[in-house]
Amino acid sequence: MILDYLRLEVRRTLRDVGFVIGGVAMPVMMYLLFTNLGENDGAWKTASMVGMAAYGAVGSALNTGGGVAEDRAIGWLRQLRVTPMTPRQVVAGRALTGSVTVLPAIVAVLAAGGLLNGVRLAAWQWASIALLLWLGSIPFTLLGLGNGYRLTAQTTGVTNMLCNLGLAVLGGLWFPVTLFPGWLRTVSGYTPTHRFAQLGTSIADGHAPALGAVVVLTAWALAFGSYAVLSYRRSARNV
Amino acid sequence: MSFTGAVKTYGAVRAVDGVDMRIAQGETVALLGRNGAGKSTTISLLLGLLQADEGTVELFGAAPERSVLAGRVGAMLQDSRAVPRVTVRELVSFVAGRYPAPMPVAQALELAGITDLAGRRVDRLSGGQTQRVRYAVALAGNPSLLVLDEPTAALDVEARHAFWRSMREYAGLGRTVLFSTHYLEEADAHADRIIVIDRGRVVADGTGEQLRRAAGGNLVSIDLAGRGTEGLTLLPGVRSMEVRGDRALLRTDDSDATVIALAELGAIRGLEVVPASLDDAFLALTAPEMEIV
Repeated sequence: MILDYLRLEVRRTLRDVGFVIGGVAMPVMMYLLFTNLGENDGAWKTASMVGMAAYGAVGSALNTGGGVAEDRAIGWLRQLRVTPMTPRQVVAGRALTGSVTVLPAIVAVLAAGGLLNGVRLAAWQWASIALLLWLGSIPFTLLGLGNGYRLTAQTTGVTNMLCNLGLAVLGGLWFPVTLFPGWLRTVSGYTPTHRFAQLGTSIADGHAPALGAVVVLTAWALAFGSYAVLSYRRSARNV
Repeated sequence: MSFTGAVKTYGAVRAVDGVDMRIAQGETVALLGRNGAGKSTTISLLLGLLQADEGTVELFGAAPERSVLAGRVGAMLQDSRAVPRVTVRELVSFVAGRYPAPMPVAQALELAGITDLAGRRVDRLSGGQTQRVRYAVALAGNPSLLVLDEPTAALDVEARHAFWRSMREYAGLGRTVLFSTHYLEEADAHADRIIVIDRGRVVADGTGEQLRRAAGGNLVSIDLAGRGTEGLTLLPGVRSMEVRGDRALLRTDDSDATVIALAELGAIRGLEVVPASLDDAFLALTAPEMEIV
């Protein structure tokens, strides 16, 4: 039952031109641009690859919330409530949709790194990076769902974009945090996006993710998860 | 399904204010009322989308949510728009797949008259076409109870006829159908029974003929020709009066007595006696109290 819903929603997401351009093509283009302008060493090509894959994954994860807000606005969630689907199945299906639709961005940016930018990593490193970026995107799906169940379609779009850009820049997904002043670097260490990308960069450097990264990201996952639950409960009362 | 003293309030507004009604299996019932009368809130209570503040609502002898989860209900809701980025067939197949015993997708599309649109994207259809897609979505699960909230709002005349034919066909299979409308002719022509809702209450319940009778049999009208209307509402049989331009329209239970009394007053210019139409019946039932004498 959930699988049918997942298939339907993934199909709808992939047909969304905005999603394909903003969530997949943009990160790839920015990656190629940022790593091929001026002089760059191989390390930046690898670090930026992880950063941009993370950026794309965050955007796609948040986009799931945009879909929820849209479905609320057009009455589709209401319509689902008068079918035999339970609200729990609908939410679970949506969360799963988020976890599937982050994959194109991750795969596309990693492919651009390996095929176009000559990034060389061991097979286990490629696999681990993809897997960790996939799992690590869960908090952002939850944040997106929290926004989508709470806000209107328009404000969800704007809020998601601000979350995406703000967290991406602050987390050092676009530019290395070593360029930041000291205090900003400290702030960056507490952002979910920085810790998210760190999962991947650790692997690229050849070692397991730091405990700190996992702890901070888990804390954010709990916070965003609670936010999503509260938003969902609130919207369920107003359907 | 049954409502027993159901109440739903929004702040100070009692959108549904003590509704009692009962619909038996196989009936086709119209929920008739003007905009804002409480039709949609009643339907939301029936479908379990809202919980009653007081009273109880039952569907197939259980809480509405349970019957909905059991797949016994299909609904076409108001204010729902096209689902973006899916084709008609994908959408209807998906909904059909949620139900334990759906009808074939091709049959749902045919009943809704959208077979030729199956491959089209829902968000690229016209308003009337979208409405028919929503009808197909409601039918897809082959539900025992079909609930249609203002089903013909966006349809042109031809599509409207086709829709009612299709609804009749579905009801003919022994299904229960409840539709809401603010068009009297639709309620009269297509339902076995009409439940009139006004200000959150059931104000009448019966066949079109019964409503006509209940609302007062005849309408007697005269030219006022400059005379006042005072005293007219006190004449025998008269229940209410309306003034349209220079004519007074008297709704009466006893048109003979009313006409004789008018004759005694000498107020018979342009006298006309006609049976009250269903429209008149509806207006009488839902008119603000002050107009009813």
